Amino acid sequence: MIKLKHAVYALLGTALFYAGCSSKSEEAVQPNIANETITQASLKFTNQANSADTTSCTYTFLLDNNNNVTGVDSTQLTLKANSKYNCVVYMLDQTQSPVFVVSNEIKQRENYHLFFYQPTPIISAPVISNTSPYIPGTAVTPNLAPLNLSVVRTDLDTNNPPLQVGLTSVFTTGAASSGKLRWVLRHQPNAKNGTYAPGSSDLDVNFVTVIQ
Amino acid sequence: MFKIPTKLSLIIIFLPVLAHSQQLSSKKYSINGYVYDTNTKTPLQAATISEVGGSDNAITDKSGKYSLKANQGQMHLRCEYVGYYAIDTTIMVSGNIKVSFRLTPASQNLNEVTINSTATPHAELATLSTSILQGAALDQTRGLSLGDALKSVTGVTTFQTGPSIAKPVIHGLTGSRVLILNNGVALEAQQWGQEHAPEIDPFIANQIEVIKGADGIRYGADAIAGVISVNPKLLPTDTGTMDGEVNAVGMTNSRLGAFSAMFEGALGKKLPGLSYRLQGTFKRSGDVSTPNYLLGNTGLFESDFSAAVQYYHKNYGIEGYYSNFYTKIGIEFGTDVGSYSDLLSRISETVPITTYPFSYFIDRPYQTVDHSTAKIKGFYHITDSSKLEVQYAYQVNTRQEYEELSLSASLAPAIYLQIHTSTVDLNYEHKDGGGFSGSFGATGMNQGNVRLYGYLIPNFVDYDGGAYGIEKYRNGKWLFEAGARYDYRWLRAFAFDANAAKIDVTTTHYSGASTTLGSTYNFTDNLKLSANYSNAFRPPSVNELYIDGVHESLAEFEIGDANLKTEQANDFNLQLNYATHFLNIDLQGYYNHINNFIFEEPTGQFYHSQGGELLEFAYTQGNVNFRGIDLGITVKPLDSLEVISKTSLIYAWNETIHNYQIYTPPLRLQNGVNYHFGNFGPFKNFLIGADDIYVAKQYDVPPGYDFAPPPNAYNLIDAHVGFKLNINKTRADIDIAVNNLTNVAYKDYLDRFRYFADEPGRNIIFRLRVPFEILSNHNNNN
Repeated sequence: MIKLKHAVYALLGTALFYAGCSSKSEEAVQPNIANETITQASLKFTNQANSADTTSCTYTFLLDNNNNVTGVDSTQLTLKANSKYNCVVYMLDQTQSPVFVVSNEIKQRENYHLFFYQPTPIISAPVISNTSPYIPGTAVTPNLAPLNLSVVRTDLDTNNPPLQVGLTSVFTTGAASSGKLRWVLRHQPNAKNGTYAPGSSDLDVNFVTVIQ
Repeated sequence: MFKIPTKLSLIIIFLPVLAHSQQLSSKKYSINGYVYDTNTKTPLQAATISEVGGSDNAITDKSGKYSLKANQGQMHLRCEYVGYYAIDTTIMVSGNIKVSFRLTPASQNLNEVTINSTATPHAELATLSTSILQGAALDQTRGLSLGDALKSVTGVTTFQTGPSIAKPVIHGLTGSRVLILNNGVALEAQQWGQEHAPEIDPFIANQIEVIKGADGIRYGADAIAGVISVNPKLLPTDTGTMDGEVNAVGMTNSRLGAFSAMFEGALGKKLPGLSYRLQGTFKRSGDVSTPNYLLGNTGLFESDFSAAVQYYHKNYGIEGYYSNFYTKIGIEFGTDVGSYSDLLSRISETVPITTYPFSYFIDRPYQTVDHSTAKIKGFYHITDSSKLEVQYAYQVNTRQEYEELSLSASLAPAIYLQIHTSTVDLNYEHKDGGGFSGSFGATGMNQGNVRLYGYLIPNFVDYDGGAYGIEKYRNGKWLFEAGARYDYRWLRAFAFDANAAKIDVTTTHYSGASTTLGSTYNFTDNLKLSANYSNAFRPPSVNELYIDGVHESLAEFEIGDANLKTEQANDFNLQLNYATHFLNIDLQGYYNHINNFIFEEPTGQFYHSQGGELLEFAYTQGNVNFRGIDLGITVKPLDSLEVISKTSLIYAWNETIHNYQIYTPPLRLQNGVNYHFGNFGPFKNFLIGADDIYVAKQYDVPPGYDFAPPPNAYNLIDAHVGFKLNINKTRADIDIAVNNLTNVAYKDYLDRFRYFADEPGRNIIFRLRVPFEILSNHNNNN
């Protein structure tokens, strides 16, 4: 008898318990909000000899609703031979409303960021220093015609001593050639020293580049 | 004419049997042990051990040995000997138990209480291997995380993410395959994550029990590798007393400070049977240092609180418990890699290229976890030999992970997960005269998970139900046990469809049976052999089913599989125990074959994120077997000298990929020696000890599954000195330990941050424990 009584209590308790925990909050799915993402990254060029001569290249990331990259789209960079161009970085996060200008935020956090610009192919290893925009470890291919392009960063951050950033730079082209431009943004919180190694990459893309 | 005497004789035959069985059922278990002088370690003859409030008592023989019969349940024992301080203690009896007493001469003004108990207090399955960490061994882990504290148990190691996140690994398995009980409540958090450490304050425990082997019967799905049970001390029952204890721990490495305080008591005559405890812990540490450099941002903050209240009356009792655990853990700078090439360059650098000055400050990336548990439990002794228990528990776990931000000024976490869990457990235990005992029960669980910000796993609702029965039969030298269980899980996930921007509602059902069969044969009082076969299952966890995203610091893009089936473990265990005063051997051999084992496989594809390429890993299933041996030997050539040797050997093979199983712990050997000096003037119980820990290199790894080869073997030396001091009649236990005495730079295979940095260097640990009496029950003063 006593067992039966307890079994009844137990069943009642279990039923109450299940009734008590039918919560609905799990069904109201919140949208996915990432703190930061990059959907579009562009380089905008102005010929130093002719301010009306502008060009650009753009890399676009197609995202799904989980902010995972499902596809990419990139445009070709075409520059005139034997010219000097001023280059400006322009990056967007279009998942936010209004559209968030990532490059402005990078300017705010310039002491943590460093851009690298590596033309390929190259026929000899680039000089690596804390003012070089070239990427250590880039493959050297003496048998391939090189892309005749050199890059110098033109802006400084507020570290002491100041280090380069690369939001603005000057591209100098040589004879007509073709190849790729690898563009990397390094994120180096409390670690920036002008070199490539510290930190991690926020952006790492390649543009097909033609100098004509 | 003939029939009546026959019936009579039958009755006459039965009467004594019935009477005998009645006696057996009321005093079923034996308690035995030794009584020694705490200083000289000599056995004390003719000491009295009595049950307070009961009629039973025993007197020790020439060798100091005694034996008592006991009921199931709480038992208040008192050990007395002329010229010595008496010891009062309350033990929980649910099996044969060994309790030894060390008495202190009354001439010394020392109220020494040391209880040595080698028992399996509430092992539901007697034939599975159970290791218990308690007493001095547990005290020597104070200040460490739960995972690190358990490394001294053979067959147990940790899976780490840097120095502050450690998950316990039993027989090569971790995460949701190991069940963790916090004061009887199965910890329900985000266990699936590799960098999600168990949310338990080890200062709560006065005993940590580790069941090595599949124990699905009592605890349901998920316990396919084992169970870790963190048990607080039983609440005091001595009416009118109030006691306290303060623990303080300081460590030179990471400059850790931990402080824990506890008050407990039992009310007096006005409300006998009511007792309570309040306990809190505060812990803070800064950057950890390896032998050659500091690890930036490896600080930790923790604050924990627990409260318990219990009321016992005759044959029923009710108990309430609440605990809260909050932690904030810094994740080492430079480990938040954005791409595969970043990870490879970190590995090739071998040491952090940026070094940082020491700091307690915890910067991004970090994680915070808040875990609250509330439980209410009642029991009722229906008869002397049967008991009904009901427990309801509610848990809320909130985990927030903050990543390193590069391009935004957001204050929000990257990932926010909050899981609510209600559980109800019903258990009926019985013992009858004929050697049978067992338990039957039912469990229910409801879980809901809510996520915000970034996507990693979906929201879900889960209903679980299970029913089980376990029966034991003891006959002479034999013990047999068998059990069966059925579980059902209903899981509904609300995933945000990544492409169609709508909510995908998927409902899945899992069900499975668990069985166990075991036997123990006692060759002599000292030697026994046990064999156990257990079958247990684990449904796929929600991350294995639905994860779709970047694993922050591993340069992995993980893809779940919604069609995964349940894992099925077939675990065979054989263990041999030999225990005498001079030699103690525990040998366990196991073979755990898991069908449909869920693991991550590299797809060979790359995911192209903005920051570069990430390796794609997809969840898949296969058959894996784990084979191993755990061996523990303790030799006591002298009463004051103890030599301990522990060996854990494991071998895991994935039959589906025809290769080794990744992240299998390598061979681990731990050899130690302890010497008890006795008393040195004001220093009592002076103890000095040293351990040598050798961890081999893991050569058995599958190619292509890891980013770097396993690190080399390493050898560490730990040493410690412990003693008790009497200051103003207050006893203080002091322990000074040095871990990694020779400051060896090493990496551990089971630490995910071995890609980035070495393990911690030399660490000097100071531990102080001061138990004190606030109110005393004057009846006990002799």
